[in-house]
Amino acid sequence: MITQMHIKQLMFDPYNNAYIVVLRDEEHSDVIPIWIGKSEAGSISMAMENVTPPRPMTHDFMKSFLDAYNAKVISVVITDLSEHTYFAKIHLMYEDSEYTVDARPSDAIALALRSNAPVFANDTVITKQSSEELEQWLENLKPEDFGKLDS
Amino acid sequence: MSTANPPKEQGLVEYRVDRLLEEANTDTRIVVLAKQDDALDTFPIWVGAAEGNAIKLALDAMLTPRPMSHDLIKSFAEHLNVTIQRVVIADVKSSTYYATVYVANKGVERTIDARPSDAISLALRAHCPIYITQDVLTRRSTTNLDAWLSKLESKNIGTPEVQEI
Repeated sequence: MITQMHIKQLMFDPYNNAYIVVLRDEEHSDVIPIWIGKSEAGSISMAMENVTPPRPMTHDFMKSFLDAYNAKVISVVITDLSEHTYFAKIHLMYEDSEYTVDARPSDAIALALRSNAPVFANDTVITKQSSEELEQWLENLKPEDFGKLDS
Repeated sequence: MSTANPPKEQGLVEYRVDRLLEEANTDTRIVVLAKQDDALDTFPIWVGAAEGNAIKLALDAMLTPRPMSHDLIKSFAEHLNVTIQRVVIADVKSSTYYATVYVANKGVERTIDARPSDAISLALRAHCPIYITQDVLTRRSTTNLDAWLSKLESKNIGTPEVQEI
């Protein structure tokens, strides 16, 4: 089973000096936090805020590449969580055939946002994630802990 | 590599990625391209730290546990049966270099606009040649590179004159 997730927030984690992209389901009962790097966060942030940079960023170039061949991103699935690493798959439609491509969630999400493609998560990934603990952690973060994204 | 994909356009000069320099205390890296048949003819391009790291990984032929962004683009190309033919540093405007990535599938060639860092990162992974147009070479900054390098080695670097946004 897979559940559709929405990209809700992008936050700075001051303890790990990293960024977290937070995915939530429709009812906000399930949450998946994915720790990502600074440049990946910058790319996701630009797409979330509909910012068009003067020159194509890596994921804009990636999208141009697919557009040049009329290949469409149908969906993105966060498929697995293994040793603290999330795995994702990008589903592509090209010339009436579907292709599944292995990717990091950050690339998959950055591309999904630019392609208006839905993001799903495998239920196994959601249940593996103890969301209660995270909620508490998120609540305990003080406003000053949140950095400003400098993408 | 020089003879693998002879470009149809005139005035293209083949370069290769010679090395990557780190600028201390800044978020920028310098990709130094060297002319394929004249290592002394170098061409520096300033890129961001993340872009520099992506190039460094490919330059060192490092295998990462998970596919990095340009590995993913290469993977798309493989799935779509698209060949990355070559990349060309084709223009410079307001101190920003512009690159074009040439791709082909079923005998049809297409071009995609890119930042030089993305183009170079992809070229290294796809093992395709990197060219700079004669026009860009003529219009590049006339800074004496030796002077520039000695300045760099003394770790007294000023504002980059040519920067990629």
